[in-house]
Amino acid sequence: MKKLLNLLFLFVGFASFSQKQMPNISLSDIDGKKMSVTTDFMEKDKIYIFSFWATWCTPCISELDEMNDVQEEWKKTLPIEIVAVATDDSRTQKRIKPLVNGKGWEYKVLLDSNQELKRALGIVNIPYTVVVKNGAIVHIQNGYVPGNENDLLAKLKTL
Amino acid sequence: MKKVIFMGLLAFSSTVFAQEKVKDKGTVSGGFETNAQWYLNDKCLFDEFYNPVVHPEDPLRSNSYLFVNYKIKNWTFGIQAEAYEQQALLNYNPKYENANVATYFAQFKNEQVDITAGYYYEQFGSGLLLRSWEDRALGINNALRGLRFIYKPTKYFTLKTLYGQQRTGFDVSEGKIYGADAELALSDIFKFEKDELTIGFTYVGRDEKTDIVDPKFNDLTNAFAGRINYSHNGYYVSSEYDYKSKDAVVQVKNQIDNNLIKPGSAFLLNMGYSKKGFGVDATFRRLENMSFYSERLAKGNQYNDLIMNYVPSLTKQHHYNLANIYVYQAQPNVILNDVNLVKAGEIGGQIDLFYNFKKGTALGGKYGTKVALNYSQYHGLGGEFYIFSPQDYHTDFLGFGKKYFTDVNIEITKKWNEKWQSGFTYINQYYNKKYIQETYGEVKSNIVGAESTYKFSTNKSVRVQAEHLWANSDKKNWASLLTEFNLGSKYALYVSDMYNYGNDDAKLQHHYYSIGNSYRFKSTRIALAYGRQRGGLVCVGGVCRYVPESTGVSLSLNTSF
Repeated sequence: MKKLLNLLFLFVGFASFSQKQMPNISLSDIDGKKMSVTTDFMEKDKIYIFSFWATWCTPCISELDEMNDVQEEWKKTLPIEIVAVATDDSRTQKRIKPLVNGKGWEYKVLLDSNQELKRALGIVNIPYTVVVKNGAIVHIQNGYVPGNENDLLAKLKTL
Repeated sequence: MKKVIFMGLLAFSSTVFAQEKVKDKGTVSGGFETNAQWYLNDKCLFDEFYNPVVHPEDPLRSNSYLFVNYKIKNWTFGIQAEAYEQQALLNYNPKYENANVATYFAQFKNEQVDITAGYYYEQFGSGLLLRSWEDRALGINNALRGLRFIYKPTKYFTLKTLYGQQRTGFDVSEGKIYGADAELALSDIFKFEKDELTIGFTYVGRDEKTDIVDPKFNDLTNAFAGRINYSHNGYYVSSEYDYKSKDAVVQVKNQIDNNLIKPGSAFLLNMGYSKKGFGVDATFRRLENMSFYSERLAKGNQYNDLIMNYVPSLTKQHHYNLANIYVYQAQPNVILNDVNLVKAGEIGGQIDLFYNFKKGTALGGKYGTKVALNYSQYHGLGGEFYIFSPQDYHTDFLGFGKKYFTDVNIEITKKWNEKWQSGFTYINQYYNKKYIQETYGEVKSNIVGAESTYKFSTNKSVRVQAEHLWANSDKKNWASLLTEFNLGSKYALYVSDMYNYGNDDAKLQHHYYSIGNSYRFKSTRIALAYGRQRGGLVCVGGVCRYVPESTGVSLSLNTSF
């Protein structure tokens, strides 16, 4: 068994050499339209910020509230688009649409109902932010505390 | 067998790596997570029989997960290894032991076809007939092992077919599962401009041989569902009906009842309206005899092992600690053993309302004020119940029986200025413990919670969360305080305590304190904590796992690459 695990770790080593791509997965948007997280978010040099959240996750909602306030400002200097990926399963999924509209969020919202995308990206806790440019994952932020949006902005400016 | 497949995958991938001159070498990605716990003795923390908390044998335990995916062109190969050393954390399924390969798959996917061999996760419709998923906090991984074929000939039609056996520990179920699901986007076919209309049909079969002599039921249980989804501008409505064919009811653990052969059904209706700054949503659900396991005898096992469908409680998932003491669990089961406790399902629903008082208005202030209201109520399914030979029941479609649960709550969030933000919650709950947990008692409670975040600088902040719960019975009153310091963008520290000061038994007026810290860097998070764990149900997404009281040190680490 130990050997097997060692082999796995060796395998992991290869990972560091390859640039991570977004997995080829299609999700429904809030109106039920299927969207591919690769081909539909592929505009050249545009920076896509995939923010993983759920209706029951308070820090996630704080983050998205905050980002909603600053995104107009950010867009003036950077070609960004924020995509809110809701990981709610069928327990709370119906709450997404009224919550998003109730809060007046202006994001593209994708529904990852059985956590296919979350699992493929190896996400354990939310909030979790994945920044994608030209199909490649260029930055990851695991978690959110107030003020992290400033760090994110600083990072985005370097991309 | 597993080893052989794994070595095969590895050999395949290494040959790919070997061909360095090939342009597309593919990409490797994955993740690692470990949750370790060092259980300690605690002379001051007693259970209801005054036994102090004693650490279990092998006090040092951990659950670890490593998965690696390799993707090249249209192919993806994946493997997940898990290790439970020295044993799995307390109250996880003991079938999780030692280290081993847990799941693996090979997948081919293009625009039209998606074929997976090995372990896969799938959900049909709302999941009331079939959902395979992974939830490590609950110890659930009911992936199916077999073959799945998804076909999308056009943009508006998807057909999924599958066959598999369900994962249980490091093995798979005896029962075999067949499934098919078709979804048709009618709005695309008829080129509706503003409306979305989709319909779907599901079939799920569970084939399990039985040892019962002269069974009055079939090995194969068939289940069917239909669903519809419609939206027009801000309005939307969706509905699903599920039917499970006649099968033996399992009331008591490990006993198949050959004299009570009943079908099951579920009906779900949801509708709502939303526009910018306002949203309202209402859900109604009726469940009758809807538990579904890949092996009949698995019904009611405390580890959620071999569970085939997902029957979440449709109530608000609160984030306040004290609001998670009396958590409702959906009641899809049949019980006829006791005149005073009969069940055949549940009926009820919930309503949500979201409103944003705009910036610049009297109640909105400079930054706006956000309000969320929620109300849910569930009853046992009403009807006629026959306790003695022969046992039987007849339900009414809109039969509201004993009240199981209600929850009325309001949540207000308000940003005062650039530095201050606050939240306030009031919750009123009724929890029929006798029916929900099949013990005794009922609890009425009121909970008040308030939280505030203050930013010292761009990346330093403090958050304080205070709560109080008034309950008229059971463990009675609680108070709770949590303080969290975010020191810089990567490091956080917290101290918390939940105090059951109102317990009638002075010896059981426990403090459940905890202190911990976490460090985050890019995709990695590491956390270390010390404290007491309250015994009871730990619930994620309406599915719960029982955990015993414990005291100890916990370490968790997760990363992705």
